[in-house]
Amino acid sequence: MAAAGGRRLIRVGRLLLLLIAIVLVQTAVLPYARVFGVVPDLGLVATVAIAYREGPEMGSIFGFAAGLSMDLFLQTPLGLTALAFALTGYVIGILQSALLRSTWWVTPLLGGLGGILGGLIFIGIGAIVGQEQLFALRSLRVVLLSGVYDAIVAPVVFPIAAFAARGPGPRTGSEMSRPGW
Amino acid sequence: MAVYRRASRRRSVLILLVLTSITLITLDARGNNGGVTRTVRDAARDSMAPVQSAVDDVLSPVNDWFDAVTRSSDIKQENRVLRRELAEARGQAAESLGARRENKELRALQHLPYAPDLPGVTAQVIAASPGNFESTVALDKGTDDGIVNAMPVVAGDGLVGRVVQASHKRATVLLLTDAKSGVSVRLGTTGDRGVLNGRAGSNLLRLEVEPDVVVKRGDLLFTSGLEGSVFPANIPVGRVASVKSEPGAIEQTILVRPLVDVGRASFVRALEWPPRGAGG
Repeated sequence: MAAAGGRRLIRVGRLLLLLIAIVLVQTAVLPYARVFGVVPDLGLVATVAIAYREGPEMGSIFGFAAGLSMDLFLQTPLGLTALAFALTGYVIGILQSALLRSTWWVTPLLGGLGGILGGLIFIGIGAIVGQEQLFALRSLRVVLLSGVYDAIVAPVVFPIAAFAARGPGPRTGSEMSRPGW
Repeated sequence: MAVYRRASRRRSVLILLVLTSITLITLDARGNNGGVTRTVRDAARDSMAPVQSAVDDVLSPVNDWFDAVTRSSDIKQENRVLRRELAEARGQAAESLGARRENKELRALQHLPYAPDLPGVTAQVIAASPGNFESTVALDKGTDDGIVNAMPVVAGDGLVGRVVQASHKRATVLLLTDAKSGVSVRLGTTGDRGVLNGRAGSNLLRLEVEPDVVVKRGDLLFTSGLEGSVFPANIPVGRVASVKSEPGAIEQTILVRPLVDVGRASFVRALEWPPRGAGG
């Protein structure tokens, strides 16, 4: 019982470390790696990875935490990115059960689609809470470009996120067949 | 039964997260750029300051290379500028190009022709926005050095933006190109005024003026400095890049290229405005 609690604590620790690493890379390194003016959203890609692996509950909680961490460094209202990431994690987690088999392209596909979905939710809610400037055709271009960028970084982020989210129990065969393993 | 309980639990978690987010958004909006959320944000930015500085030192050369590779559309223009710089650099081979550029920027900032009497704080640009939906940069100085909210920020060539958040060691500048940015400007040739707005995802700014205003490509725009304005008067802002005027339209749309390419500026100056001791 105590061993299981300890393993759970280690898992939470790994996820916290992942969050800190994401914030460090996103705020200090990625602004240098803009392509066509956009950067990949590591927090969002990690959220998608965890939602795909662990389901909607874990996906939405991690998405909330990752989004809130990023909110601290943005000018948009605190909580906006958290809400967008949490909803994305939930949706991807729900859709995860519909994926019957895993092939190599599922990781970039999910990373890209998750990135686009998260971006659209961010713009939509942003417009509702007073960020009308986001509601422009150019924002759509940014969302699509960052989705492509997210798809490119997904094969790197997925295995790291999967390692951090690995549960206390032994890995099952179906787990090991998923992207990231 | 177990499946139902699990579905119900995850819905409850989602509802809780949504409500928490909405509460935070409301608190932030009501705080009006202050309050608890502001304190938390300031603390987070200050805690990241040493890491950002270290990474900036390490990655600056990589950034120059990456910038050159990814901005292919500007390469022709860049080539012309580089050729001119190369010609100037002959005979000064021992001096590095980067150091000379910084030196030039700093000297220009000490002798701003358009704001000679305004005191200010010179700061280094150390990071761009980590997000995709805002155009901001982080400065390596904050309230400890005298930078406060709403200070206009300039580079040698002209206006950069204004400070929107200042913590102890860092300040965030909202650039002219941000969609939330609006600057009252006047046309250098005719004196007509208007509000120059940023556009999401674009490096060009947008100005709308009456159809009878005579404006052509290359015309300069300056801050208008109307009473109570956020910016002092006569700071160069940008050049007209294109004019779109249709017969019968109630206004013509002008696209403006900012004079300062913030992606390349290493140093900027936050101006004290209105100057201390000024009325109001």
